[in-house]
Amino acid sequence: MTGPLILGIETSCDETGVAVVAGNEILSTVLASQIDAHARFGGVVPEVAARAHVEAIRPMVHLALRQAGVHSDQLDAVAATQGPGLVGALMVGYSFGKALAWTLGAPFIGVDHMEGHLFAPRLEHGDFEPPAVVLLASGGHSQIVHVRGWGEYEILGATIDDAAGEAFDKIARFMGLGFPGGPAIDKAAEGGDASIVRFPRALRDRPYDFSFSGLKTSVVTYLEKAKASQSVPPLPDVAAAVQEAIVDVLVDKTFNAVAQTGVESVAGGGGVLANRRLRERMAEEANRRGVSLHLPSPALCTDNGAMIAAAGEFRLERGDVTPWVTDVSSSLRLGS
Amino acid sequence: MKILAIDTATSASSVALGDGDQLAAMSVRVDRRGHGSFLVPAVDFCFQSAGWRPPDIDVIAVDIGPGLFTGIRAGISTAQAIAAAVGAPMVAVSSLTALAVRAATGRRRIWPVVDIRRGQYATRPFRPVPGGVAPDGAAEIVSAEGLHNLLDSDAEDTLMVGDVEGLPAKTLRGLHQVKRGRPRYPSADVLLEIASFHAARGQYVRPEDVRPLYMREPDARINWTDFREEGMWPGAAE
Ligand SMILES: [Zn+2]
Repeated sequence: MTGPLILGIETSCDETGVAVVAGNEILSTVLASQIDAHARFGGVVPEVAARAHVEAIRPMVHLALRQAGVHSDQLDAVAATQGPGLVGALMVGYSFGKALAWTLGAPFIGVDHMEGHLFAPRLEHGDFEPPAVVLLASGGHSQIVHVRGWGEYEILGATIDDAAGEAFDKIARFMGLGFPGGPAIDKAAEGGDASIVRFPRALRDRPYDFSFSGLKTSVVTYLEKAKASQSVPPLPDVAAAVQEAIVDVLVDKTFNAVAQTGVESVAGGGGVLANRRLRERMAEEANRRGVSLHLPSPALCTDNGAMIAAAGEFRLERGDVTPWVTDVSSSLRLGS
Repeated sequence: MKILAIDTATSASSVALGDGDQLAAMSVRVDRRGHGSFLVPAVDFCFQSAGWRPPDIDVIAVDIGPGLFTGIRAGISTAQAIAAAVGAPMVAVSSLTALAVRAATGRRRIWPVVDIRRGQYATRPFRPVPGGVAPDGAAEIVSAEGLHNLLDSDAEDTLMVGDVEGLPAKTLRGLHQVKRGRPRYPSADVLLEIASFHAARGQYVRPEDVRPLYMREPDARINWTDFREEGMWPGAAE
């Protein structure tokens, strides 16, 4: 084992993720997903999420420690997501983590969820080092981050309305594809022909920002017209066209940032990065430009405890121990 | 029997340490927010004042509600984490019971009330019995008007405790048999008394069974505008 033994807890949205990490090695990572609890609402309901976390946190921590073969007294630190995210959800993991650290006499690290995503690639790609451009896209966030060095971040661009994952969710919901929308559209698009319709790509004049609300409106308009004229195209084709529109924008803007900053390394994080078409396009584009790509495997793209432990380790080594008196922060912003 | 008690179910947060029901240290703060920043510093303060260490703890008691949802979850998560680390058994106490136990001095039937927001109140009648209280009816969630009607239908002399000051003025109007009393909030020192009673009888709750007592379904609103429910391709979700 290399590096300190850290327990990482993630409860910012709809996954109760807990992991034990030593250095870049994941000793265990467990997840209680709430997808079923939110599916009937077509999105994450904050109070439903908080209720599920409080039921899951104790058993998940227990399971992560057991799978790692680690006793809690052996932990060198406990890290938990401090924000951004849903306050009621964050409160559960943060309270549990802080109280556990206090009882063990171990340092506690409150971790910025977005910084967690930035550290995820390093768990599998030991050679991933800044400077790099990282695309973070999920149901709750979409941004392009210039990682100048660890702990030195500049947000180059972000969504001005819906997050990319939220766009997938809303459109999937309209199309009757269920929740979460990203994987549903990915699956529905299999074998589809994206060229049947070209949905608009917004904000062409802004190099790094995204906007997805217009896309949603144009999909709705397109399908309503098609329905009225009784010529609704096959589902795989429409799903592929929707996916292509979202992926295009994400890839374009990410590689605009790569070109502008001159970095030679690109990475990604967030649930949307589990999308197969996006991964394929990122790989093509990285290859074409001769930059190296470090995409975590899908399980480390979505929210998880291991990335929180990894970012926690970095903070611990820098001596950034979080005081007991701190609380969660829904609006924590990377780099500030 | 060393007990740690945590109560963050209402606007008043408190942590207490006791040897049996003898208070060794206590920390209190009244604020309807900020349960998360209060808890561990308060626990730390109590242990330092009492000169105790976490492994000394034999039992952990926590208020599971009803009350403020976020506060209840912060309290339970904190209590469960400490319990897991030291291997201590737990006692779960309802905020209504904690209020009634502290109020049990006379003969009146006790109606504790806890504001659970959105104009709703949790309540349950208790009758004083030697050494404590016993529930005398079901726990309910009512509006202020519903509370008025409940109390009006109780022919006995009653004592109302809890957040009575927070009730709309008209709630108690015309209810002459109702006396207002204290405490206003449940608190950790009462949990010590209750926990030491249960611990002496070996009555613990398994940690996995320590769950919030919400008494209200979650509000299932999503933060975005709903589209039509109807899909274009029936059955696509399967
Ligand atoms: Zn995330």
